[in-house]
Amino acid sequence: MSTASSGFKLSEWLFTTDHKRIGVLYLIGSVAAFAVAGIMALLIRLEQMSPGPTIVSDAYVGGDQYNVWLYFHGAAMILGFLIPGLTGFAANYLLPLMIGAKDVAFPRINALSVWLFWAGIVVALLTFVVPDKPDVMWTGYPPYSIKTGGNLALYVFTVHLIGFSSILASVNFLVTITYMRAPGIGWFQLNMFTWSCFTAFIIQLVFVPVLAAAVTLLLLDRYLGTHFYDPANGGDVLLYQNLFWFYSHPAVYVIFLPAMGIFYEIYATMAKNPIFNYKAAVYGMCGIVLISGEVWVHHLYYSGMPDWLRIGQMVTTLLISVPVGLMTISLFGTLYRGAITFNTPMYYGTAALYLLIIGGLTGIPLAITVLSVHLGETSFTHAHFHFIMGIFATFSVFAAVDFWFPKIAGRMLNEKQARLGFWFNFIGVNVTFWPLFIIGVQGMPRRYWDYSQFPPHFADYHKVATIGAFIVAIGMVLTISNWIISAIKGQRATDNPWGSRSLEWTHTATPPGPGNFPKDVVVEAGWTPYDYK
Amino acid sequence: MIKSAVGHEQAHHWETSVAPMLVVAGVLFLVVFGFIGWFSYHSALMAIVSAGIGVPLLLAGIAKWTGEGLTHKPLVEGLSPMALSIFIVSEIFIFLSLFAAYWTMRLSAGADWPPVGTPKEFNLVLPLIMTVILVTSSLTYHVAEVKLEQNNLSGFRGWVFISILLGLLFLGCTVYEYQHLMHQKFTPSTNAYSTAFYSITGFHASHVLIGLGVFLAVLLAAMRGLTNKYLAFCAGLYWHFVDIVWFFVATQIYYW
Repeated sequence: MSTASSGFKLSEWLFTTDHKRIGVLYLIGSVAAFAVAGIMALLIRLEQMSPGPTIVSDAYVGGDQYNVWLYFHGAAMILGFLIPGLTGFAANYLLPLMIGAKDVAFPRINALSVWLFWAGIVVALLTFVVPDKPDVMWTGYPPYSIKTGGNLALYVFTVHLIGFSSILASVNFLVTITYMRAPGIGWFQLNMFTWSCFTAFIIQLVFVPVLAAAVTLLLLDRYLGTHFYDPANGGDVLLYQNLFWFYSHPAVYVIFLPAMGIFYEIYATMAKNPIFNYKAAVYGMCGIVLISGEVWVHHLYYSGMPDWLRIGQMVTTLLISVPVGLMTISLFGTLYRGAITFNTPMYYGTAALYLLIIGGLTGIPLAITVLSVHLGETSFTHAHFHFIMGIFATFSVFAAVDFWFPKIAGRMLNEKQARLGFWFNFIGVNVTFWPLFIIGVQGMPRRYWDYSQFPPHFADYHKVATIGAFIVAIGMVLTISNWIISAIKGQRATDNPWGSRSLEWTHTATPPGPGNFPKDVVVEAGWTPYDYK
Repeated sequence: MIKSAVGHEQAHHWETSVAPMLVVAGVLFLVVFGFIGWFSYHSALMAIVSAGIGVPLLLAGIAKWTGEGLTHKPLVEGLSPMALSIFIVSEIFIFLSLFAAYWTMRLSAGADWPPVGTPKEFNLVLPLIMTVILVTSSLTYHVAEVKLEQNNLSGFRGWVFISILLGLLFLGCTVYEYQHLMHQKFTPSTNAYSTAFYSITGFHASHVLIGLGVFLAVLLAAMRGLTNKYLAFCAGLYWHFVDIVWFFVATQIYYW
């Protein structure tokens, strides 16, 4: 309970090299990005309430306004919230504690990572200040991104700053996990969350540089007049899509893996059970790393490619469901005959299983080329990836904050408000995305702001979806305000309120002070973080 | 109730460092705002002011960082060579992406290579000289490391200095070559070959520049009597990596 430092000192936070405080800085930055990107989502939903111009000024500039919202929503949610929320906040705060280390291997590089991420957020937010707002989606496809009047450099530098931050974090944590485990902790005694981050960091290390290269070439084409993506001068416009998705599909797993890792921790602790099929799940994660680099071409099904390649990509894409299936079974099995405590983190955990199954199953028709040609560019895809990637991963961040809140803040969360927030969130996302699945199958194209040339009944579904989005907004306000209020006024927490067996609960003060552990951690033979029987 | 970290080295204070934030602020102003000022808004003033703020911040950050890194004891010593090796994996992929872009253009052009606008007589002797310079600098840095092992600090400084000079000579050759080609109206926007040529050699040259920056940091610290075999080793490892990349750049860009 007694933390060494006395009181709050701003300089100790701003210049900190402590992994726990860096984790909290990541959380603050990513929640800020999340809030702004969420407002963009509400604007997008309001615009889609009716077929023609709804909240945009008029039909002439409407597309430009709408494109900026679409750009910021996508870029900030993925680059500013999901990736830094999971591999930034959660990994930073928890990994060194889980492996019994005093800090990461390179604390100053860790601080560099978090401030690069913040710089990325600042550059992204400049969108709302500059006259030439970027309007290139989060994908930045040429030739539009090169020809548009929007400021492409802001997009490219956001990717560069956050990408470089990710690469440095990957190097830091791969070294930390490999060399700084407390004596006695072997590879198969690691927490599932540690494993999930280890695999996610491998993906980041290898694939982020390819995205960095892709957008750098975009920058050169736009500002220095090179011809990488210019077919008229010997370039190739599809080259960008290949390079971009070579990273950006695996990016889904960079988000998915730590999100699963968080739910494993919550399931095991709340069900008081060891992880079911631990090794199979770990091999599943490694399998995802191996397959993740061979599936990106399915994003180019409609961009033109030989048929034999489509078939090959269909096979590898469907193959991903094997390791994901292993992981899901292991998650499910962990509940078997458990004495389950249903608190808010577990609510999110249960909802996640539903999102995982619906999101996963709707992915299968999108992987199959003959169906994908019809569904790929409709709001069916939009709803699919919001279920599996957007909401599933967002719920994992919320669950992580709720679950580790007593340790991080030293105080208990207001459980009633947290639960109320959960129900708003959960009901809201269903009200939002089920209508989009339905009209997607009927042919509603994704991303359109003006759909007046489509059947008029689409508007009714869009209205329902918009109501759903505002229900989610209420849930988000309830959830995030709860974190702030409870961090100040909540009831004091004990060291291990959930009765977990993991090191971050059993061996540290609440909240942990500098140096993490009162004495050097050594675990006895046969120790595991899931020793519940 | 568990008491926090009593009796530990770090017991009663939170570790802090100003260096990382200085470096990020420097990069933000110098690279991001400088670039946007110059290219997006065509404002020389904005570019110069941004660079004027960014450069001192960046240099102060690097100086502070090197000083701390050489005086503070890390939690576990000797992890940096492994970390740099992992980082180099990342670098390899960024170079591979650039080469992939080049190969795509090159192979789709078929027989029309080099495309119209490329000077007839490309200087193929200069890259050979540059190769010799870079390989020599790798060797001289190796000698520096041997001197350091023998605890001969003045020898170490001397050989690092020679390596820096060779690196500068290499960059000088690049500048000379660029000027010469630009004069022949062979600019980045001329054709597909110029696109790949300037991007890949330029990107490699920027790595040489970073390597030289690291050497300079090592040298300046060594002048103050501070040195660390891991830092010296990492600087060398990065330099050898840049050297090896050059073989690929030279063979793919000039001689294929």
